[in-house]
Amino acid sequence: MSSAAVPAKDPQRASAATSALSAPTRIVAAFSGTRGLLVKILLLGAANALAAWAAAVLADRGRWPALVGLVLATLAIDAIYLGSRTVPAKFLVPGTIFLVAFQVAPILYTVNVAFTNYSTGHILSKAEAIQGIESHSLQPPDNGQTYSMAPARDASGSLVLVLVADNGDTFVGTKKGLKPVPRDTVGVAGGAITSAKGYKLIKGPALFSLDKELNAFTVPTKGSAAIRPEGLDTAVDLEPSLRYDARRDVFVRTVGAHTVYRDDGRGRFASPTGDELEPGWVTGVGTKNFSAIVNNPLVRDPFLRVFAWTVAFATLTVLLSFAVGLFLAIALDKSGMPLQRVYRSILVVPYAIPGGLALLVWAGLLNDDFGVVNHILHVHVPWLFGSAWWARTSIILVSTWLTFPYFFLVSMGALQSIPSELTEAARVDGGGRWQVFRRVTLPLLLVVVAPLLIASFAFNFNNFNNIYLLTAGGPAAGDQSLAGATDILISYTYKLSFATGKGGAYGLASAVSILIFFIVATISAVSFWRTKALENVR
Amino acid sequence: MKRRIALGGLVVAVLVSLAAMAALSSAQASLKSEASPNAAAATTIVVWTDQNRKADVDKVTSTWGATRGVDVKVVVKDFGQIRDALKTIAVADAPDVIVGAHDWTGELAANGLVLPLFPRAAVKKQFPKYSLNAFSYGKNGARLYGIPTQLENIALIVNTGMAHAPKNWKDLESQALKIKKRTGSAVGIAVQQGSGGDAYHMYPFFSGLCGYIFQTTKTGGLNPSNIGVANKKFLANSALIDKWNSEGLIRSSVDSSTAQDLFLKQKTAFWVTGPWNVDPVRKAGIKFKIVQIPAIKCKSVPFLGVQGFMVTKYSTAHGVESAAKDLVSNYMAQPAAQVSLALANSRFPANTVAGKRVHDSALSAFGKASLGGVPMPNIPEMNSVWGDLGSAWVKSTKGPGATKARVAFSTAAKNIRIKIAGG
Repeated sequence: MSSAAVPAKDPQRASAATSALSAPTRIVAAFSGTRGLLVKILLLGAANALAAWAAAVLADRGRWPALVGLVLATLAIDAIYLGSRTVPAKFLVPGTIFLVAFQVAPILYTVNVAFTNYSTGHILSKAEAIQGIESHSLQPPDNGQTYSMAPARDASGSLVLVLVADNGDTFVGTKKGLKPVPRDTVGVAGGAITSAKGYKLIKGPALFSLDKELNAFTVPTKGSAAIRPEGLDTAVDLEPSLRYDARRDVFVRTVGAHTVYRDDGRGRFASPTGDELEPGWVTGVGTKNFSAIVNNPLVRDPFLRVFAWTVAFATLTVLLSFAVGLFLAIALDKSGMPLQRVYRSILVVPYAIPGGLALLVWAGLLNDDFGVVNHILHVHVPWLFGSAWWARTSIILVSTWLTFPYFFLVSMGALQSIPSELTEAARVDGGGRWQVFRRVTLPLLLVVVAPLLIASFAFNFNNFNNIYLLTAGGPAAGDQSLAGATDILISYTYKLSFATGKGGAYGLASAVSILIFFIVATISAVSFWRTKALENVR
Repeated sequence: MKRRIALGGLVVAVLVSLAAMAALSSAQASLKSEASPNAAAATTIVVWTDQNRKADVDKVTSTWGATRGVDVKVVVKDFGQIRDALKTIAVADAPDVIVGAHDWTGELAANGLVLPLFPRAAVKKQFPKYSLNAFSYGKNGARLYGIPTQLENIALIVNTGMAHAPKNWKDLESQALKIKKRTGSAVGIAVQQGSGGDAYHMYPFFSGLCGYIFQTTKTGGLNPSNIGVANKKFLANSALIDKWNSEGLIRSSVDSSTAQDLFLKQKTAFWVTGPWNVDPVRKAGIKFKIVQIPAIKCKSVPFLGVQGFMVTKYSTAHGVESAAKDLVSNYMAQPAAQVSLALANSRFPANTVAGKRVHDSALSAFGKASLGGVPMPNIPEMNSVWGDLGSAWVKSTKGPGATKARVAFSTAAKNIRIKIAGG
């Protein structure tokens, strides 16, 4: 809670505060002396050092546009903090950097993903996918052999493979083909080739430096089949079952019917019958993810029900927590109350427990058959599994339990800010307790608290944890759809994206997230606009 | 003021150039090592494993590394996150070898993140066929993407102090209900579901009622457009689920911790679980026997889980592809490595030669209970099945007010079809 939002109650203290320097002025003063300069130089030096390190890494990985951006940004930062006419920028820059890094960048990334088919089977680039399909299409031909293998150099220094077949036949494989050699020229011990007459075996570290050369090395056998090294001492006869035709940008099956697989614009090669090759690649799909939201019955059918529950959940959680928090704050506001601090501390406990942990504990406490709550109360209430309405009730109760300490703290502070003259005057004018609260305290309180209520609403609108850890969206709703009775939009999005099709539908998930963003933004904007009216109370 | 700024600028410039020099020299060093790998410690293989296996993966890989002259860096990851992390990792930080579960195979291969392996015929012969199939994937001819190292499945643990190993399903049902009455427990058989459902632990019951998930094709692959979640035979038997629900034989509110609690506190004598829970039973001093769940209408078989090691596509970019393949499809497949990799996690090794060297009564009992089991489907479409199949069980076994099993499973089958088609 910011102290600026709550003016000091004591008029004497308030006037003392205005005569002293304001906090920002003091900070500026602290950074103006020699000591300040030293601190500034150290911080700036650290920032520059970090930038230089990042630049080296970017240069190493060949990310040139990012490098240019980094250099320009660093120079701008230096100019701002070393210059003397850029005081406002000095205050704005750190905030802006964090805003860009943690808000703007993820949003841009999400928007970008929403227009692609990024999902299981579509995460590579097209070039990588083509390479993948080629390597995945390799298969042993009929009567394909496996060999013990040792890479070696011949007299002229070119790479060859010394091979021993499973029946003991020995060969030397070159780029031209397989050449039988007498068995006694190849030394074999314990299944490994130890020597070959006329060839120098490559051993140790030299072998690892060959990795790329070795993996590209093939010894042609029959047709398109070839012996390829598999690891460091095995070679296998393999033939590709698909051939990539770069000119036509198609894959052609080389065995059986010569099926042609074309790039169908959806990030994959597919045959005319819809048979697709894996892996596919990431590609732009325009607004397909958005139209899927409208056209896909999985999304469309339960949408209104889920949306209504999401709004109800967020609204009720916020209102109930605020009501409970405010009630307790007023109840504990009496000065001179014994043990006041102890009570206040105890009430903040739910806020201090990590939410995830508290939710799991509640899920255990409320278990229909084995939970402590039913056990102690000697009842059999289906808190979480048995009934949709009870599950919704439990979720709202637990969410309220988790949130009310926040509003308790906020209300406690805000109550202090209401000048006592106003309430006293109202009492003198003959207002009852309830009337004073309704007409004076609450409106004044709302000026401070309303933005927090809206923020809390937006937070709960997307409160994935509460739903997922308590009921995982269950129990089943009446319409028996994928969305459970307690699924809110975000938990349903999660189910849609990770538990449909092949899973991992990040594109669709991003599209739904953007939709949710617009819903929350609209509700919040309208509410903020309405709360402006509240400020006229003053 | 101007002098101060000049001074500040100078200091900054010095700091920047120092940092830049340090950074560039390290960058150069890394560039140099790429250019001439003959330099000392040139080849490093990065292996991702989970905490449980860390010590033994260290041991196995360092023995291999010493004979080959390769440095192995073993990085500990949360097991469940390895598959997802592989999708987004930068090439420079990516692993060359990962440990994984066989049911990741389809997704990883469809994403193009793992390389096909071609171990020698003599090596393949040492593995049960299903364990290799479990790591194989491909719509047009399956390829092997991992070397199995350990097998796991669930079975029925019987508290022999309270009950005897059931002779048949009827025997199990009547014993379980009698004990439930005596102890006042809410269920007869402890099998975990929880709010989200658990199709894995319910599979023996599912298969016992003649359910299957995907039809097996002639080539041994799985056909995602033929779903057996609500096949005729299963629906005909599904009234049994309603009966179990009304008599309280099983309950969806039992999750993993309540299931364990029920068995260890001797509220029930039957627990459907895996080898990972044998230790707590031993520690509690409970006498037990491990058996396969008796056949209900069909054989009640468990899902088979196979874990193993895979070579990633990043090994190619790192220039260690052949070394990584040597480690995985050659060295880790050997009986010696298999024994240490599997026992580290108290599982049975996949290699049959290694299996003969294991003398642990519980592990071999779990092995026997796996007979006829079905490898968990490894195609990515399985993502569309877990939730609905699990929730069909939850809906139909939640006690009073449960949905009729016939309706719950038919709905699940319908949803699964829509989801697979919609993806």
